[in-house]
Amino acid sequence: EPISNNPQQKHSVSAQEKGLGAGGSVSGNGRPNTAAGCGGGGGGLSGGLTQPAGWQSLLSFTILFLAWLAGFSSRLFAVIRFESIIHEFDPWFNYRSTHHLSTNGFYEFLNWFDERAWYPLGRIVGGTVYPGLMVTAGLIHYLLNLLNVTVHIRDVCVFLAPIFSGLTAISTFLLTRELWNQGAGLLAACFIAIVPGYISRSVAGSFDNEGIAIFALQFTYYLWVKSVKTGSVFWTIGCCLSYFYMVSAWGGYVFIINLIPLHVFVLLLMQRYSRRLYIAYSTFYIVGLVLSMQIPFVGFQPIRTSEHMAAAGVFALLQAYAFLQYLKDRLTKQEFQTLFFLGVSLAAGVVFLTVIYLTYTGETAATMATQHHSLAQHMPSLYFSPLPLINPIKPVILNLDTERLFDPVLSAFAVYFAGVMVRLMLTLTPVVCMLSAIAFSSVFEHYLGDDMKRENPPAEDSSDEDDKRNSGNLYDKAGKVRKHVSEQDRPEEGLGPNIKSIVTMLMLMLLMMFAVHCTWVTSNAYSSPSVVLASYNHDGSRNILDDFREAYYWLRQNTDEHARVMSWWDYGYQIAGMANRTTLVDNNTWNNSHIALVGKAMSSNESAAYEIMKSLDVDYVLIIFGGVIGYSGDDINKFLWMVRIAEGEHPKDIRESDYFTPQGEFRVDKAGSPTLLNCLMYKMSYYRFGEMQLDFRTPPGFDRTRNAEIGNKDIRLKHLEEAFTSEHWLVRIYRVKKQENRQALDHKLRNVAAKQKYTSKKTAKRKRGYVKNKLVLKKGKKLNKKSV
Amino acid sequence: MLVWLLRAAAADGLVNEEVKRTVDLSTHLAKISAEILLANQGGSPVQSFTLALEPELGPHLAYVGASVKGEEEEDESLELKETAVHGRSGTFFQVQLPSALAAGGKLRVKVETVLTHVLRPFPSHITQAERQLVVFQGNHYLYSPYPTRSQSTRVRLASKTVESYTKLGNPSKNDEVIEYGPFKDVAPFSQDTMKIHYENNAPFLTISSITRTIEVSHWGNIAVEETIDLRHTGAYLKGPFSRYDYQRQSDSGISSVKSFKTILPASAQDVYYRDEIGNISTSHLQVLEDSVEVEVRPRFPLFGGWKTHYIIGYNLPSYEYLYTLGDQYALKMRLIDHVYDDQVIDHMTVKVILPEGARNVHLDTPYVIDRSPDQLHYTYLDTFGRPVLVATKNNLVEQHIQDMVVHYTFNKILMLQEPLLVVGAFYILFFTVIIYVRLDFSITKDPAAEVRMKVASITEQVLTLVNKRLGLYRQMDEVVNRYKQSRDTGALNSGRKTLEAEHRTLTNDIAALQARLKAEGSDLAEKVGEIQKLDGQVKELVNQSCQESERLVAGKVKKETYITSEKTLAGKRQELISRIDSLLDAL
Repeated sequence: EPISNNPQQKHSVSAQEKGLGAGGSVSGNGRPNTAAGCGGGGGGLSGGLTQPAGWQSLLSFTILFLAWLAGFSSRLFAVIRFESIIHEFDPWFNYRSTHHLSTNGFYEFLNWFDERAWYPLGRIVGGTVYPGLMVTAGLIHYLLNLLNVTVHIRDVCVFLAPIFSGLTAISTFLLTRELWNQGAGLLAACFIAIVPGYISRSVAGSFDNEGIAIFALQFTYYLWVKSVKTGSVFWTIGCCLSYFYMVSAWGGYVFIINLIPLHVFVLLLMQRYSRRLYIAYSTFYIVGLVLSMQIPFVGFQPIRTSEHMAAAGVFALLQAYAFLQYLKDRLTKQEFQTLFFLGVSLAAGVVFLTVIYLTYTGETAATMATQHHSLAQHMPSLYFSPLPLINPIKPVILNLDTERLFDPVLSAFAVYFAGVMVRLMLTLTPVVCMLSAIAFSSVFEHYLGDDMKRENPPAEDSSDEDDKRNSGNLYDKAGKVRKHVSEQDRPEEGLGPNIKSIVTMLMLMLLMMFAVHCTWVTSNAYSSPSVVLASYNHDGSRNILDDFREAYYWLRQNTDEHARVMSWWDYGYQIAGMANRTTLVDNNTWNNSHIALVGKAMSSNESAAYEIMKSLDVDYVLIIFGGVIGYSGDDINKFLWMVRIAEGEHPKDIRESDYFTPQGEFRVDKAGSPTLLNCLMYKMSYYRFGEMQLDFRTPPGFDRTRNAEIGNKDIRLKHLEEAFTSEHWLVRIYRVKKQENRQALDHKLRNVAAKQKYTSKKTAKRKRGYVKNKLVLKKGKKLNKKSV
Repeated sequence: MLVWLLRAAAADGLVNEEVKRTVDLSTHLAKISAEILLANQGGSPVQSFTLALEPELGPHLAYVGASVKGEEEEDESLELKETAVHGRSGTFFQVQLPSALAAGGKLRVKVETVLTHVLRPFPSHITQAERQLVVFQGNHYLYSPYPTRSQSTRVRLASKTVESYTKLGNPSKNDEVIEYGPFKDVAPFSQDTMKIHYENNAPFLTISSITRTIEVSHWGNIAVEETIDLRHTGAYLKGPFSRYDYQRQSDSGISSVKSFKTILPASAQDVYYRDEIGNISTSHLQVLEDSVEVEVRPRFPLFGGWKTHYIIGYNLPSYEYLYTLGDQYALKMRLIDHVYDDQVIDHMTVKVILPEGARNVHLDTPYVIDRSPDQLHYTYLDTFGRPVLVATKNNLVEQHIQDMVVHYTFNKILMLQEPLLVVGAFYILFFTVIIYVRLDFSITKDPAAEVRMKVASITEQVLTLVNKRLGLYRQMDEVVNRYKQSRDTGALNSGRKTLEAEHRTLTNDIAALQARLKAEGSDLAEKVGEIQKLDGQVKELVNQSCQESERLVAGKVKKETYITSEKTLAGKRQELISRIDSLLDAL
């Protein structure tokens, strides 16, 4: 009997090997895959199953679906803790314009002139927004309503970003698969789904451009890599459309229009020029340029501004290069040619680098800096938190392929961008995710792959059954082509099972900690709507401080529909969105002098401010005051920015130094500067606060935010009156009194004997009015001033 | 004229023998109730009598009702019909008596009237610190088409503080109650202005409009949603609103409204309370035994002239309200529900959304209500729309909280429509995916790829066949093994025969595939040829081992030699097979 068993056993081993090879080697992109590469897991599981390719796609599908689900649900903290509400500041504007779009239609939206913002200037909204976000949400809402799914537009807006995070995960998967392999792609998809850097801008309720733009960004990259790889116009046009979507969604499209030329440029430098590259870039540049100019807000910028010049330069360079290539075949003078090429590329490179240098270090950053720093959006501590965890495990991979070169270029660029402006950390996040996914993937490949082979149970040769079923389908697409890859390609590395398991465990621990960390950061740092505040008591019960909405809703219900509300620009969008009232300045910040005027009103004394407010037709003034509950983001803490911006425009009237004590401190107590203690903002913030005793340990008028007893307790307002103060005093609204009646005349009015019986001789139709008691000026006499 | 009228009234022969009026002014409503002892002094029995309301108060009338004391001390409410009295201004109702009042008979009737917006704030604007004063203007006497023998009026106020009041017949005032009368022998339709100016800090809340939407689902749920516009109709707030005073002084803004209670049905679930900008987080919900109480606190306290707007909604189980008999359905629900105590609704719209496919809809209301044309409503999984009944009515008070009944027929088969729709949609989705995956939609043919695919599919078949052929050898081995034990030559021969036959067909198939590969111009054909060649050798070896075993069985060779030769054969065969394998791998 032992005799006869022999061959059979042998055979079964070989059959098992076949099974394994079949499972592990199917790859969508046709790249020869290194052993159990892409998901060793996929190969291992599918070893004994009927259709390995089917199993693998099912597995990928499941993982992507789960990544989507995880990404979606981890963004719902705010909805579960609070409610389905739009967060923060900018989203309120986006929501308001989406609402406008969904009620009035697309053309009405494009032509929308918003007379409720920037009174009296107004704002051409259609021409000053990236409409991609609103159109996306509006379209989803429209489609759902077409299907009789009666969802409110607010809910569409709230859940748009979490849904798009799933699409981002999928496009990241596609991109990473193109650049590396499927396993890395799946890991990258999982990373991007929960990475805090991206969640920070895409939690439910954060209805902002970035939420959909990151998807567009990743998808454009994917299509670009695909088009460079295939050289097909089809993919390139897809890339252009995706780029168009990106342009319509976010100003960060500039990132793409610089990155892709950079990629092309580096390829040229590395002598990787090919016809495919030529087709891809030429098509992309021209079609993408034309498409991007269709967005009203972008307009002619792509051919005018310096940010876009790099793309044009590379386009010209590529044409020149292609022309030289063409000439190369015809000309004989080889040396002259290479010299020529070198000269051209050097010149172009110098131009390219100068343009980039000028753009990002010079103008843009500097001009934006002043205004944007007063917003708490730029807190680096929060933004950097996801980074340290991923950065150390970034691999140094220099296995450069044409398309793989895209990766290092992308990462270098993203790091540079993020360094220039913290907010652009967002663009770095996907890159970091992809790189770390690749690192993890290759580590797992190395430490996990061989074990799998050994531990794999003997697989049965199932090809018979398989073939009976599918023998007819010659053109079946389901990736059935199985190849017997020989397993002996890679020599066994001398890794003991202990090292392998330890490394694997460590890696898994790291991944687990990463997931925990992500959830923690999301839940604690990014999941507050900031419109609703919550405080927790000792027993864990929760108090909701809903002062913002209280005051905004009061404005909405109990003021005249056309009332004009003056506030610092931070609250402009919220007032427009929640209170539906006209504002003077808002978060758009396009007109600095208007903002400075408001800042000047806030920082002047009451009568000077009254003149400004009169000239601006202000009916109400809204301020945020945190002194009662200790809310630190209030207007007194922002006050110095108002002063500075006002000083920038009106240096004669406002001087920042006046608001400091002689020691150079900014204090609100008795030692504070008298200018501060009598300015409008101070008076409005602390009006009647001096009488208020919050608890018995502190004197009346004790400001909890600044921990000081206020210096001016006896505040009287002459031109303003308190119209509304919210429950916790967080929002205070003042009514600007109408001008008082003129002073009584110190003499009697002229008593002109009226012509008693004046009857017009004109017919009733043609009767013209006449003025009774019309003043007749006598020349040469000075009029008494008071009587005018 | 007057004489004629008196005669007309006297024609009924009715006289108000004794009238006790109570005017309740303690809230923002004027609730006037009167107990009238009717006497028929005419010659014939009387079927009905007439109720009258002063012309000034007519437009403010929200509710009027009359009842008689029944036999078992129960109030039996009477039927009212609006009518007109010739030559007299005012609002008149004809009240049908339960049984005719015989000549000389007497009957005690209770009449209840509720008037809204009759208390006028005076002064009309007050500051936050001031108290609210209101003026009521009414009639000292009962406004009646019949002569009154004796009557008294008792006025209940909201507070002791009274600025002024008319002093007809020297009324007595005791705390918040003023008593007028008794007045004797009052002529029909007599009017004398009663004016009381007093302090009233009761919440002057008015629902300026309410839209109540009732959505019936046959899947067990009734969703109710009320959209409410609320206004404080007391004295307007003049000057600033100081939060400090409001928080520190209890009597500051005493007439303002901080919160009120709304009582929902006991089975109400999933209550929500929100407005355009989100959830109103200041509300509280309390589930009691026989009701659910919502403490509605608007976002901000309501001062005079301030308004707010909110939506409150909840779900109810349909088994409590929906009755069915075959295809007949009846929905019995409150036409309007409680919002706050002593509520005043200026304008109400009720919408009842019935399930898709409901027909023969008929609405029974407890009181007259204006029907607007029916509408259609489209929501989840609807195709031809749900019928919506729309009804409106102005000026309602608490007494209007009564049930309405909606009758309709609904074919139960239609219940299947929604699930089928979902199933159909998924079917179409999957079908589309299948079609998309199975068909080739490319507009150009790529010959190279086509050939590659063909070659791949042929190679696939070759692989299978070769594997099958190798399997045959294994079968043969087993046959040989069995033969060694059983020594049954017949079995061996038949096994060999089948092997031969199957082997031939397989080899032929492979050869055919090889030819096809060659036709496609693939270099794999050579490899397949090589496999064929090697396979021939394997076949040879198998045959050899077969013969060896025959010889062993026949005793022509010794066991040891057989084992060694078998070993070498097996070794050779293994070598060949591994070569075939490596060739297969290379395919």
